[in-house]
Amino acid sequence: MSTISLRIEFGGGLELLFDNKRSYRIDVPSLVPKDNSTDAENLSTKETKPVDVDYLIHHMRDNMLKERVELFMEKDTVRPGILVLINDTDWELEGEGEYRLKDGDEVVFISTLHGG
Amino acid sequence: MSSCENPNVDKDALMPRRQKFDGKTKICVRCKENTGNVVIRYSVYCKTCFFPLVQTRFRKSLEPSINATPDGPRKKALKAVGSLVIGLSGGTCSTAMLDLVAKSYFAPKNEPTGKLKGGKDHPRNSDKGVWKGKAGISYVEVCGAFPGEKDRTEDIRAVVESYSNSNFEFLPLRLEDSFDSNWWKSVGGDLSTSAQSLARLDLHLVNSSSESSPLQALRTYLSSLPTQTAFYSAVQMLVRLLLLHTSASRDASHLLLGTSLTSLSVNLISGIAQGSGYQVTEEGKEEWNPRPEHGMPLRIVRPLRDVGMKECTIWDWWCKLKIVGEPRSLYSGGKNAIGALTRDFIFGLESDYPATVSTVARTCAKLTPKEGSDEICALCERPAQHGVQAWKSRISIRSYQEVSSAVSGNTRPPHLTEEEITNLTKSSLDITPTSDHPFSLTPLLCYACHTLLTSRSSRGLAASLPQGQSTGDVPLPLWVRSSADMAISAHSHESVPLAVKMSRREMEKEISEFLLSDE
Repeated sequence: MSTISLRIEFGGGLELLFDNKRSYRIDVPSLVPKDNSTDAENLSTKETKPVDVDYLIHHMRDNMLKERVELFMEKDTVRPGILVLINDTDWELEGEGEYRLKDGDEVVFISTLHGG
Repeated sequence: MSSCENPNVDKDALMPRRQKFDGKTKICVRCKENTGNVVIRYSVYCKTCFFPLVQTRFRKSLEPSINATPDGPRKKALKAVGSLVIGLSGGTCSTAMLDLVAKSYFAPKNEPTGKLKGGKDHPRNSDKGVWKGKAGISYVEVCGAFPGEKDRTEDIRAVVESYSNSNFEFLPLRLEDSFDSNWWKSVGGDLSTSAQSLARLDLHLVNSSSESSPLQALRTYLSSLPTQTAFYSAVQMLVRLLLLHTSASRDASHLLLGTSLTSLSVNLISGIAQGSGYQVTEEGKEEWNPRPEHGMPLRIVRPLRDVGMKECTIWDWWCKLKIVGEPRSLYSGGKNAIGALTRDFIFGLESDYPATVSTVARTCAKLTPKEGSDEICALCERPAQHGVQAWKSRISIRSYQEVSSAVSGNTRPPHLTEEEITNLTKSSLDITPTSDHPFSLTPLLCYACHTLLTSRSSRGLAASLPQGQSTGDVPLPLWVRSSADMAISAHSHESVPLAVKMSRREMEKEISEFLLSDE
């Protein structure tokens, strides 16, 4: 199974949910289940799609998140107040969760929830 | 929304979410050349144009309020009458604000040779700043209210020192300073009365019967509050008042707070929900008058009030600024407090419909109270509505035993005699404290603060009081008694007759000399 390599960064205190580590380098499959399930064993029986940010969020929840899933995800996407930058560009310009990830992409998750 | 199907026919039909930008082009709307990097309220901006955009909005919000006369000539004549204090919490917005202030007003302007022309004491170079003296950067450490939380004072000090600007002075404060006589003395407070007064839960002021450390006093005060909402609002209020008094003691004319458009909308809605609708104007723009001879009128300015949380976050990220604060209420309790619930609502709104959040702030900016007020709340030191207790007693169902300022003329409750009602109303309006009828704080509070101290939760107190403390012996912040003293003296100089319901026997006594005898 082919994989792509990504760099993940956290800011604004979000790293506290991810083992207090600000930067990760991870590998994700280039083809993933359409329903974003991260269970690799049943991949052959499922409809697939090229890996996108929606899948990445599910992958992070299931493999990297250490605590309090509700502070990271809400309704199958990131919780309001979490800003996502893909290669230094607002993910809203890139199609949000539908952006197809490429090898070497840098995805940044920043919490704006601290406020003041 | 023409594309919205009929949900009665098609059960799966959902209203499509509006796209965050028009989708036609990713080119920056400002320079019309570069590919955009960020979407701000449906408009696309590139990284190069983003910085001047935020800086312009910041200056546009701040500069009209710098000069004493707001509409005077500005461009080259920005001159404040006093010094500057910046409130820094270490969070997203205040970190961005500090950076903006440093870059806009405190950036070193050296000659190309690297030396100042004429030396630092030359009239050309001295007193060139907008504000007088050094800018104070004030941080209030709140870990005293949240046991187990890390003290971040040194982290914040490192942030301030990272600017290596000799014009910045770090002013660390602690939440418990509100109960510390040394701090109160350092800001010019009067210790003769204020340090000795305590309040009971019925809001009567009594003399202190116990000596406790400032931290213990803070915890007792916060533990005595009736709800989780009151707890978080009280912390916010203490931080605000600590900053105000500290600013006044430095002869500051401006206090800058890092309230973004998003947090302003949260504060407005949450404030209104907690009963501070009368003070809605203060949330956006405020001028606070310190005690006489304790400083000049202080303008509390929120220069990021037109800049959203998203812009602040991106500013911090792109400028590589360190956020040292922790999103406290997310990681500990308080998620059911009104403030946190409102924040979740507004953040959700901003995520789906970004322009709506600015509508909240703009709509609230148009609101003004029906009538002005010359009264100041003793607790929050914001304008208080006149006759609020009389109004409160008319609109709400309250226990007659606790009515402190009920007006006369109400229907007599069945379980009380006329005599008992007379006593209740009389004691509440009696402004001079006696041993039988101690002075009540109630008439000196605004509606929101009275609600904060008295509105009980069906679940009981937010936290339990520390051992050895009773609800009848709760310390108050040091400025409260001082405000109470001023209010009492102001009231005593007014000779406005008060309408007090008298019992039949008292009425008879008053007019006894005019009555004809029965014989």
